[in-house]
Amino acid sequence: MLVAISASSVILVNAARRDSGMVVHTVEAENQISTLLLEIRRAESAARAYMLNAQPSFLTEHEAAVAAIVPGLDKLADLTADNSVQVENIKKLRAAIATRMAEFAKAVGFVKQNDAPSAVAMLPQTGAGAAVQAIADISRAMRAEEDRLFIQRTRTADSTQQLASIVTVTGSGLVIALAGLSIFLVQRSSRARDEAEAQLRENNLNLESTVEERTADLREANDEIQRFAYIVSHDLRSPLVNIMGFTSELEELRGDIFRRIASLANDTPVVPDVNGELPEPALPEQDKQLSADFTEALGFIKSSIGKMDRLISAILNLTREGRREFKPVKIDTRDLIENIASTVAHQAAETETTIRVEPLPDIVSDRLALEQIFSNLIDNAIKYLKPGVPGDILVKGRTKMGFAIYEIVDNGRGIDPKDHQRIFDLFRRAGTQDKPGQGIGLAHVRALVRRLGGTMSVSSELGAGSNFTVTLPARWTGTNRDKQA
Amino acid sequence: MSKPVTIIMIEDDEGHARLIERNIRRSGVNNEIIPFTNGTDAINYLFGKDASGQAHKGEALLILLDLNLPDMTGIDILRKVKENDFLKCAPVVVLTTTDDAQEIKRCYELGCNVYITKPVNYESFANAIRQLGLFFSVIQVPQAAS
Repeated sequence: MLVAISASSVILVNAARRDSGMVVHTVEAENQISTLLLEIRRAESAARAYMLNAQPSFLTEHEAAVAAIVPGLDKLADLTADNSVQVENIKKLRAAIATRMAEFAKAVGFVKQNDAPSAVAMLPQTGAGAAVQAIADISRAMRAEEDRLFIQRTRTADSTQQLASIVTVTGSGLVIALAGLSIFLVQRSSRARDEAEAQLRENNLNLESTVEERTADLREANDEIQRFAYIVSHDLRSPLVNIMGFTSELEELRGDIFRRIASLANDTPVVPDVNGELPEPALPEQDKQLSADFTEALGFIKSSIGKMDRLISAILNLTREGRREFKPVKIDTRDLIENIASTVAHQAAETETTIRVEPLPDIVSDRLALEQIFSNLIDNAIKYLKPGVPGDILVKGRTKMGFAIYEIVDNGRGIDPKDHQRIFDLFRRAGTQDKPGQGIGLAHVRALVRRLGGTMSVSSELGAGSNFTVTLPARWTGTNRDKQA
Repeated sequence: MSKPVTIIMIEDDEGHARLIERNIRRSGVNNEIIPFTNGTDAINYLFGKDASGQAHKGEALLILLDLNLPDMTGIDILRKVKENDFLKCAPVVVLTTTDDAQEIKRCYELGCNVYITKPVNYESFANAIRQLGLFFSVIQVPQAAS
């Protein structure tokens, strides 16, 4: 739009200049007409003067004037070539002037031949001849034409100039309007941006508070689960103490009953031996069977109680771990792993297992938790070897983007990929169940790794060894999503 | 021992109470055992009607205390007993399923004399109780402050 306005204003200014040029041109043409007429009058008066006194100076002047007439006429023709009316007039004028010049030449000729009277006789003729009249008429017409053109062109120039100034004023107005508009728009957009920023800030605050709220909720839920597990395991333990206690009482009773049966059957009372222990009474065959059944039943009850107690203890220990405060300290990981390796050296020697420890990245974390993590993993590696193959356990590590990554690689029996998730669940185990265990170790390890702000994973194939990867923040500061309030 | 020691047993689980009593008897301790199954009754008995504890002035008491009670925690009872001028000399044996190190520490800080975890392994439990019985029979339970 501005370009269009600029272009049109340039065009209009050019037009105005051209119009002004036309006006000047018209003025020049008029001027030329006057000059030409003046030259003709000069020639005429010089010719008259020459005719009257035949002085050569007048002839010279006349000839100079005559000589100026034709170029003047040509110049006028040039100037007015753009106007057909004037071209027509020029033609007439040229003819009239030629006639007039011929008359002058004739008169001058008479004077030169000293025929003054003839020349003088031509005088009135020269003053009011048809040619003179024609010249006057034509020049008047031309002047009128030029005047008309002048007025017309002046008007055109005026209007063009007016138009140009209008366009310029409009353009300026438009520029000012546009400037105002853009200032307004800029202000509006900056205001909108400020508002958006404020909104964003508010949203951020909201988000933060929402996150905090949710975190608090989660923490509360977590605490509640911990308390729940703690209370449940306590309350489960209480009846277990009774079951165990009275089972033992039953056992005592069993001894008493069968001793009594024995003494009734044998007529010989059972007496304590030298150590004060009561010997197993000698019983008839069917009573022996009863006694054995009794013992078997009690044995199952007791072993089940034992198992249940271990499970409850495991849950208790887990909740206790969950409540323990972690203290981040700088740990020489290689030293820590080698210590663990030395504590399991005996088992390792029994199974011909070698434990190789590569240089490991140091870490800032909780020492006890780290010890538990690695000793669990190394214990597992020693525990689940491939039968008949000497164990080979490799512990290696590296750092990556602020995380220390440790890998415990073994050549053991491996884990079926479908069990990879399961082995991290509490009380769940995988593979051949030929080793003692509660299915707690890895669940515990993963809980610890998570609390330390890390992750862990396993890659393994059945019969092809396992690779446990533990990724921990290299500089744990004691703050993570599970941190206790 | 100028006066036989009375054993106050505060234990809400009747089975536990029975087991404790049996084992105490088995170890040859024949002192009177007064059982309570909740904290409120025990407090009422220990501190008397005026809640001053003066009722048992001069009596030799031994308190067997479970920490998990239905109406209050054993810790509250322990604190009250140890803050009372007449009862603070009575030995308190805490008998509970909790083997939490912090809990144990707290009990000792409050003035508990012995802390015994009720183990599911009955043998060790019985042993602990019997040893406690032996302990009762050899120690001179101090007279309550007069």
